[in-house]
Amino acid sequence: MFEKTLVPVASGERPGELSKIGFILKSLGSGSVCLFHVNEAASFFRGSDLSWLGPLAQALEDAGLSVETKTGNGHIASAIAEAALMEGADAVYMKAKRRWHLETMFLGSVSRDLLRLSDVPVFVHKLRPRLPDEEDRLGREDLIVLYATDFDAASVRPLPSVMEFQGARCHVLHVRGRMADPATERRRKEAVDRELHAVEEDLRPYFGWVTSEQRIGNPGAEVLRVSEQVSADIIVLGRKTPAFFSVPMGDTAERVVNESKASIFLVPHPGTPDGS
Amino acid sequence: MVRDYLRREAVFFVSSAIILFFIAIGAARPDLLDALSSAIHTAILDHFSWLYLISSFFFLLFAVGLALSKFGTIKLGHDAERPQYSFFGWIAMLFAAGMGIGLLFWGVSEPLIHYLQSPPFLTPETPAAAEFAMTYAFFHWGIHPWAIYTVVSLSIAYFSFRRGMPALISSCLYPVLGGRIYGPAGNLVDVLAVFATVFGTATSLGFGALQIHSGFTHLYGISSAISVTIGLIIIATALFMASAILGVEKGVQILSKINIILACALLLFLLALGPTPYLFNIFSSTLGGYINNIIDLSLQSYPFAGNEWSREWTVFYWAWWISWSPFVGLFIARISRGRTIREFVLTVLTVPPLFTFLWFSVFGGSALYLEQMPGVDLAAIAGNDVSFVLFVFLEHYPFSALLSLIAIFLLIVFFITSADSATVVLSSLTSGGSMIVPLYKKVFWALALSTVAIILLITGGLSALQVMAIMAAFPFMIVMILLCYTLTIGLAQESVRQ
Repeated sequence: MFEKTLVPVASGERPGELSKIGFILKSLGSGSVCLFHVNEAASFFRGSDLSWLGPLAQALEDAGLSVETKTGNGHIASAIAEAALMEGADAVYMKAKRRWHLETMFLGSVSRDLLRLSDVPVFVHKLRPRLPDEEDRLGREDLIVLYATDFDAASVRPLPSVMEFQGARCHVLHVRGRMADPATERRRKEAVDRELHAVEEDLRPYFGWVTSEQRIGNPGAEVLRVSEQVSADIIVLGRKTPAFFSVPMGDTAERVVNESKASIFLVPHPGTPDGS
Repeated sequence: MVRDYLRREAVFFVSSAIILFFIAIGAARPDLLDALSSAIHTAILDHFSWLYLISSFFFLLFAVGLALSKFGTIKLGHDAERPQYSFFGWIAMLFAAGMGIGLLFWGVSEPLIHYLQSPPFLTPETPAAAEFAMTYAFFHWGIHPWAIYTVVSLSIAYFSFRRGMPALISSCLYPVLGGRIYGPAGNLVDVLAVFATVFGTATSLGFGALQIHSGFTHLYGISSAISVTIGLIIIATALFMASAILGVEKGVQILSKINIILACALLLFLLALGPTPYLFNIFSSTLGGYINNIIDLSLQSYPFAGNEWSREWTVFYWAWWISWSPFVGLFIARISRGRTIREFVLTVLTVPPLFTFLWFSVFGGSALYLEQMPGVDLAAIAGNDVSFVLFVFLEHYPFSALLSLIAIFLLIVFFITSADSATVVLSSLTSGGSMIVPLYKKVFWALALSTVAIILLITGGLSALQVMAIMAAFPFMIVMILLCYTLTIGLAQESVRQ
């Protein structure tokens, strides 16, 4: 899942931070990293000097990863998305910065565009799981994964990725609207329960503890609520075709990515207008 | 056991307590009731008159949108069901339920009053004022009222016939309230529907009683004291209570049909003996103006000059239709089982309004025609006493006494059939949607309707009736907006359901 990971970087990144990212990627099973920088329109101060990429690559190599450095041009998010595809990356890793709380809570436009445009899964690292110290490693045995699904094609697609995360616990969440009458609601609830149990069975070999629940309400709000209730480290979501009136990325995914304290692993759905 | 009973009958006890409280205040301290209702009414109009305009226009767009959407083919019932009534019978019942007394009360007087007391930006008693008067009469009685009824009746018909739920307003909110429709939240919605129905119907009964009284005064010179109006209401109450209790459904149906035939005969008589080409010209040009300006009319509140006029007329009408909508909506839903949403909406939004347009063209147009003749001053009479002008107007035709008697008969029958249906609907709404209701509930609601109408007439007459209609409609308007949302949810789930 993270065998080859593309890590976009910008000028000003600190090698110490990259080192921690290296450890976490390593513990998630990554072997190689493509360090990628997009040259913005000519910078008066920086010019075309890319020597600052060297220490960053070194920090990742020190974490035990093989590193290649690439650069691109043009619209930043499009260039990253294209590079991820061209380089055969399994995922794109993005760190939501911690230096300013606001930046953690609300992603910048580049990140939002990337989440919308990328054809490979995107991992947005937020407050949880905590970045390990140099001598620590992220312990898979403590990892709690929340898998949010509504059983359509887009949200079933991340299932293999959920399995690969492994960890202590996986909580499967199905959020839906209420049906229009009590009899249909009862039938729907029973059908969803059956499907949730089937998913639980699929995931049981990979996690110490697998639970599931279905909720009625707003998907974004419920995913965020449950994520805090189970102290999820990672929320796995499928990216759906956005509704006509929604913002380009789709309401639920955008809200979860913006507001969650847990990291998000967003899997695109190939063949859809924004995922093909 | 007592607790279960109280829980089951919560809607009846709460709504009857509210109505009894209102009656008690009205009887003991009419001045306090008048002050209180005026304060609430003013607050609603000051802050939310725009909401009545926007919501009514939204209901129209919503209804048309549903009819033209893929949901238009969905049946109000099971897929194999066929309509219960013939097309003509269905239309006749739609019409009788939706307008009734109001057409007789306002048919002559509304265009005349607009002509005489036009908004400040128009000079009264001019051709422009006449055009304005007819356009607004069409607008107030056109497709908007039917769009309001459509939202409620479609919701009830869909959730009860297709989803198998009780015929209650609260049932329609299941997609948002879930199991809470059986608790206080659902009860509150049904209480609001009862509240709106009681005051909406009482307003119409008040209008009807005033006009019946005016008719008798005009024909036989009986006293115009309010006590006579009250006496008339008591007699009519005895009649419609007996009808509701005995369940003389067939008798009422026959009376309704006779009423429709008589109303049509009266219309044709006036059309034939009046200035026929002039009336058709009014029909044609007003219809054109109405269609051409429907968006402007729908959203126009004349904020710079004439806002007061808009509040007194358009907002009052929208509120009145909204307060009638639980009652008419339930009735229309019941007779529309087996029809598709498209057939239902397109028929309801075209056929009854067209008849209404013709009615106003003939009654209002003839009145405006007579008004321009020397020595005739119908508009001044309408300005003084709205209920009286119909009979003065009929004096200008041959067999005027007979015509007035027919008008009085129409009013009495509309009064009885409307009040009878409202009693049955109120009893059903307060009995969990069941059509088999205990006798005491029918008696209670029949007496409550009449008493509220009497109290309103005593406290403030016509204006008190209008104030209460606007007040009762406000909370139900919010419920109606929710109905649009839940109906959309229900229809969107049709594919999942199948």
